[in-house]
Parts: sequence; C-alpha cells; structure tokens
Amino acid sequence: MSEVLRRFERQTDLQKTRQTLPWPEKVRMVEKIRESIKQLRAAPSRKGAAPPHVSSEQKPPFSFF
Amino acid sequence: MKELARLLNDMREAGVIVNYALFGAVAQMRYAEPVATLDADVLVLVPGEERLDVLKSIYEFCATKGFHPTGETIEVGSWPVQFIPVFSLLTKEALEEAETADFDGVPFRVVRAAHLAVIALSVGRAKDFTRILALLEAGSVNRQEVGQLAAKHELANHWRRFEERFLNE
Repeated sequence: MSEVLRRFERQTDLQKTRQTLPWPEKVRMVEKIRESIKQLRAAPSRKGAAPPHVSSEQKPPFSFF
Repeated sequence: MKELARLLNDMREAGVIVNYALFGAVAQMRYAEPVATLDADVLVLVPGEERLDVLKSIYEFCATKGFHPTGETIEVGSWPVQFIPVFSLLTKEALEEAETADFDGVPFRVVRAAHLAVIALSVGRAKDFTRILALLEAGSVNRQEVGQLAAKHELANHWRRFEERFLNE
C-alpha cells in the first residue's frame, strides 16, 4: 500500500474519533475556525476580486474536518 | 451557542414561540463529525402562524435582549442565526419530536438524526446528500429508519433514488 493511502487511512481514523467528541466540544471546534473559513471564502480568486459578501449559500458541500 | 440555547428557552417561556428545535449543520454535529458552517438554523413554531410577518415577534424579542438582525439572520453571540418557521408536516414533526440535549448545562432542543436525514433528503442538494451519508456512517441512523420516515412523508422515491445512487453496490 502506498504512503498516500496510509495517510488517507490515518486521516479517516482521526475524523472518526471526532464523531465521538461531546457535541459542545465539536461546536467549539467549529467556532475556532469560523473566522478562517470566512476569510478563505472571501479571498480573491485568481480570476477576479473578492465576492461582495459571504453568505450561507456559499458553503461548500463538504466537511472541513 | 450556549447563549442561543438560553435565548430560545427564554423565548418559549415568554410565549413568543410555541417551541423550537435546532437543525441544519450545527444539529448534525451532535450525531456525526464536526462540519464547517457559518450560521445556525432554528425551526420555530410561532403562535398564530397565519400572520403575514410570523417572525416579527421573534425579532422584537431578540432586540429586547440585545440581539439585532444582520441581513436575514440575527447575531447571537458569534453565531448568525436563521429562524425558519415550520413549513411542512415533516418539519413540524421534526420540531415536535426533537430531543432535549444538554449543552454545557443548558437544555437545547435538537432535531433527531432521522428527521435531519429526511429533511436533507427532501432538500436534495449535494451537501444534503453528504449529510445523510455522514449520519449513516456515524451509525446515528440506519437505512431502514430513514426509509420508513421518508415513506411516511411521501419521499419514498427520493430515498430509493438516493439508495441506488449512493448505497447500493
């Protein structure tokens, strides 16, 4: 098995351990990274300027964790 | 988030709403792994639903507590909160059958995992399908449970298509 696959497996294992955290702890994790997410989503793309605002409709359909 | 739980409990005690239940990504996190989200979504049942501006009393109550609107949300602590009146039999049932969780010592009503899955099924965006898969993978719901609830709310075809697309080999 390649090193890349082993890395993916370790990442998956890590993500599964987060499922078992207490709910308030998970919410606090998200609160900590929300400012970074906002900045990331508002960052200019290569083709043009930053979007005028960040709305909930622009959330990507995947987990950051 | 604790601030939001307190606000909603106070709102219910004051009779501004009949009841509430947290849903969307923040509720999902109770049953599966954390997901990135910017805002919190709350289902509300408001007295006199036939009124045109059903959210007015909620906004007024929030203002008395020092929470003010920003666009379509109200800022509660660090969370923009969207209040969504129940809009179907499914969401009404989800609100009525919500569980009361403990959020750092504060009671907080949260939509059950099966209802979250079926609401996601009814919405049907890519991220909603991802949420259903996450709930199934976490073991918070099983296929039979979701299938039965989907059928009850006339979403059996949606569920069959979802199973064919994502779950059947």
